[in-house]
Amino acid sequence: MAAFEPVLTRNFAVENSQSLKVYEGRGGYQAAKKALTTMSPDELVQLVKDSELRGRGGAGFPTGLKWSFLPKDRAETFMCVNGDESEPATFNNRYLLERDPHQMIEGIIISCFATRASTAYLYNRFEYIAATRVMERAIAEARAAGYLGKNIFGSGFDLEIYVHRGAGAYICGEETGLIESLEGKRGWPRIKPPFPAVEGAFRKPTVVNNIETLCCVPHIVERGADWFKSIGTPKSYGPKLYTISGHVNKQVCVELPLGVTTRQLIEEHAGGVWKGRKAKAAVPGGISMGLLSADELDVPLDFEEIRKTGCLGLGTAAVTVIDDQTPIMDVLYNTCRFFAHESCGQCTPCREGTTWFYKTMKRIKAGGGRLEDLDVMEQLAKNLGITPGTTICGLADGAAWPIKNAMTKFRPELEEYIRSHQQADKKPTALQEAIFRGVSPSLFDSSLPEPSEPLPGPTAPGHNPRVSPGT
Amino acid sequence: MATIIINGTEYTLPEGERLNAIQAAQRFGVEIPYYCWHPALSVVANCRMCEIQVGSKDPKTGEIKMIPKMVPGCQTPAKDGTVIVTDSPEVRSHQAMIMEYLLINHPLDCPVCDQAGQCGLQDYSYRHGQAIHRFVEERTVNPRKDVSDQIQLNMDRCIMCTRCVRFCREITRTNELQVERRGNHAEITIFPDRPLDNPMAGNVVDLCPVGALLDKDFLHKQRYWFNDQHSSVCTRCSTGCNIVAEENRGQIWRLRARYNPKVNDYWICDEGRSSYKSANDANLLPAMYLREGGQPREAPVDRALDTARTRLKEIARQGGTIAAVISPFLTVEEAYLLASYIKGLSGEAVLALGPVPVVGEDQTFAPDQRQGRTGDTSFVVPRPFTIRAEKCPNRNGVERILKHFQGEVIPIDRLRERAASTPFDALYITGGGHEPAYEGQEWTKLRDGAKFLVVQDVWPTDLAGTADVILSSATFAEKAGCYVNATGRLQYASAALPPRDGSLPDLDILAILAERPGGGPISSRDVLSELAGQVPAFAAVRSLDGPFPEFGLPLDGSEEPTPGMFRYVDPWHAPRGRVSLAT
Repeated sequence: MAAFEPVLTRNFAVENSQSLKVYEGRGGYQAAKKALTTMSPDELVQLVKDSELRGRGGAGFPTGLKWSFLPKDRAETFMCVNGDESEPATFNNRYLLERDPHQMIEGIIISCFATRASTAYLYNRFEYIAATRVMERAIAEARAAGYLGKNIFGSGFDLEIYVHRGAGAYICGEETGLIESLEGKRGWPRIKPPFPAVEGAFRKPTVVNNIETLCCVPHIVERGADWFKSIGTPKSYGPKLYTISGHVNKQVCVELPLGVTTRQLIEEHAGGVWKGRKAKAAVPGGISMGLLSADELDVPLDFEEIRKTGCLGLGTAAVTVIDDQTPIMDVLYNTCRFFAHESCGQCTPCREGTTWFYKTMKRIKAGGGRLEDLDVMEQLAKNLGITPGTTICGLADGAAWPIKNAMTKFRPELEEYIRSHQQADKKPTALQEAIFRGVSPSLFDSSLPEPSEPLPGPTAPGHNPRVSPGT
Repeated sequence: MATIIINGTEYTLPEGERLNAIQAAQRFGVEIPYYCWHPALSVVANCRMCEIQVGSKDPKTGEIKMIPKMVPGCQTPAKDGTVIVTDSPEVRSHQAMIMEYLLINHPLDCPVCDQAGQCGLQDYSYRHGQAIHRFVEERTVNPRKDVSDQIQLNMDRCIMCTRCVRFCREITRTNELQVERRGNHAEITIFPDRPLDNPMAGNVVDLCPVGALLDKDFLHKQRYWFNDQHSSVCTRCSTGCNIVAEENRGQIWRLRARYNPKVNDYWICDEGRSSYKSANDANLLPAMYLREGGQPREAPVDRALDTARTRLKEIARQGGTIAAVISPFLTVEEAYLLASYIKGLSGEAVLALGPVPVVGEDQTFAPDQRQGRTGDTSFVVPRPFTIRAEKCPNRNGVERILKHFQGEVIPIDRLRERAASTPFDALYITGGGHEPAYEGQEWTKLRDGAKFLVVQDVWPTDLAGTADVILSSATFAEKAGCYVNATGRLQYASAALPPRDGSLPDLDILAILAERPGGGPISSRDVLSELAGQVPAFAAVRSLDGPFPEFGLPLDGSEEPTPGMFRYVDPWHAPRGRVSLAT
């Protein structure tokens, strides 16, 4: 671990690190020069492929492979840099933008050269006002210095970067949602195919990459693919920015090789759990990835290992620590509120399902919970997230995953919470209960006996007794 | 030729068709339920109702590989080797799940909803849904509002399929509707003070799979299932859109678009949609009249017809001059019978084309294959829709008849000039149409241009008031027959209403006057085959055998039936008693 030398964050502590002078003084734009003057775009794509750089935005898709999906005979390509970092507790992209904007620009230059894109859009999150200003200043500096514009480094390659600030929607971090938003439309993700590489922004081939992914590219060019692969764990190479927040003493953003464990992050970098408490759970990389229980804190945080715990993936590597005094129900409540608020409203399962979660959580929190609510929520979460393809984008999976994880890992605690938080007047009304139990409306509130053959009780929609009797 | 496998059975699709899984399955009698997909609009796949399991068969090894996730049928092309599974437990449970979700915030006010009976939610709940509901929370109730003076939007019933939004973006390209807010609170809305008032706006009501968008004109007037559906042709302009006239208790309640890719695609204009009102008008001629003592007096039908017939015959025998005005609102058959009747009375008789109302200019909505659309639009066939300035259905057809009988088309103005200088001994004027045509002094002057005047019309006009005989005829809804639209396509419209009291359909009136063997009633098809044998412009009809072609008959030139052009309606609009379109 001692041998690890931070590269992405190397300028963070330097005074005035946003200025071109400081960046150049520390060897900046040499990688871009090397790439543009000595390498061909195809060689660059091959280099990134060889480095096995995987997208840092959440899904971990190999970047070089993504670039090679672009049609060979394309006339115009767009690069979209995804800075719509809205996953709760994630702030590594903000650091990269605010503290080292020229590293970002250099990454964009090389990546655009590799993908032959002469226009790049940096889509910034609405709330990143400071980062947007820093980037705009840096872009102006770079253009004045000849790093942007026409014929960069005499290579005949032209590039313009435009900074676009979003309008405050989580969904615009999804690549096709981002493209729609960039086009000036409502941020509703598109169906795929056609994939953005074939038909993206303004119906042109488009590459959408995360900020951190592109920031890795200059260092790969500078030091080679072998250096990159010497860091991290198998199939998850390279340095990664981890952010640690929640119930820890020090909330930080640190650069570490992929594959550190949550416990290492808490103990070595975040100064331990606050108030001397213990960690009960942790979010591995943004809440949409699920929850780790206390005994899974030693699982390496990389693209592969983390999946074995039942989490969706590494996500943005934004670790949120939850101490042992916090009810998991509160975490879920916040999570459900977030996803109900951020669901774009396009696909039926997500639009209705996320709100259903939220309303149920609200009732449970208020004291009207029933134990069967947990069953219903688990079934809903399975329906929403377990079969891929239920919705257009991954938001529904993200909304379902923390619930699925909590149900398997913290079920006794959730049940105990419901038992100990009971308020008679917050329960569903008798009529609602009757509908739930399938009592015929004509029998409700009457002295007539219930039907001798009771209607089926709550079942998963998947086991619709009318459609598939007996199952 | 493409072979696709649906639920284990191999089917062959003809060459040159681009179908998605929904269409392909429907062709072979397998239903894939859907809400948001529409063949004329972009695929957005947001209702998720049509999800199926898809795979492909390796042509060499015959091995079938399934995609691990479910895929919406609307975005799955039916290609050679495509494997589709629509009846697995996974697919069924998914459909049940979507139904459960869709009904969470839906008010279930079917008893007072106009869509009931032709509602996608109702039909699919019955087929794919479940009787119990696990949702015990407060519902989200989005507000009810008006999107225009004519259209009401019940947001609480909306399922966010966005068909209406896409229609305004892609077909009319006027962009009135959009989605506002997010998640469960997302709603369809207009911009402030920009109502949904384009000339085709009413189509969003037809498009809406549930009762969210409703026409205020029809609101709470009739239950859908009480209405008889009559296939007809709109007579409001010379485009000749195919429509369904909904009739109950002797009244038309609304008109809806009927699919015809050669004419109107899936749409009709709002003007045409509201043109049914003229058939219900209280001012329509209530009886036939004879002029007695300087005043029109109500006369029994037989006496009115008898008077007209004997007087015209007498004038013809005495060698008097006879003229007739053939209205462009008459069907081809009526025009033919009238022309041959008048020419039979006197070879010298003059036939003129009735007044052709023209309002404004043609207005064309030309959707683009890609502009304004999203995703893969190669399945979409964009077809322009024209609202024509010529506000009559059959000028083209009447002119063809006139040219046959006298070699030229005499416009009404020429006839009026001639009548003013040398009055005719007998003048036979036909009317019809949605508004009274022969109103005002300029028309009453025609009275002086004829010694004997017969007016056959549906409206009590100024000119009719001066006529010797007023023959009360049929509105567009009361008669069956063919019209030739502006592009020369012969289309058949069936009668939606019985004749009013005291009136006869024009065809019967003319058959009685002409003393055809057997008299009336008379079948329009018989007259059509007779005229096809005589009038060369209608020669194309001679080859007609069996039922009248669904999409009409082009009179000039021939057309090959395009593959895949089978009748389309959303399953919830399927004929009564059928929940599915699949056979």
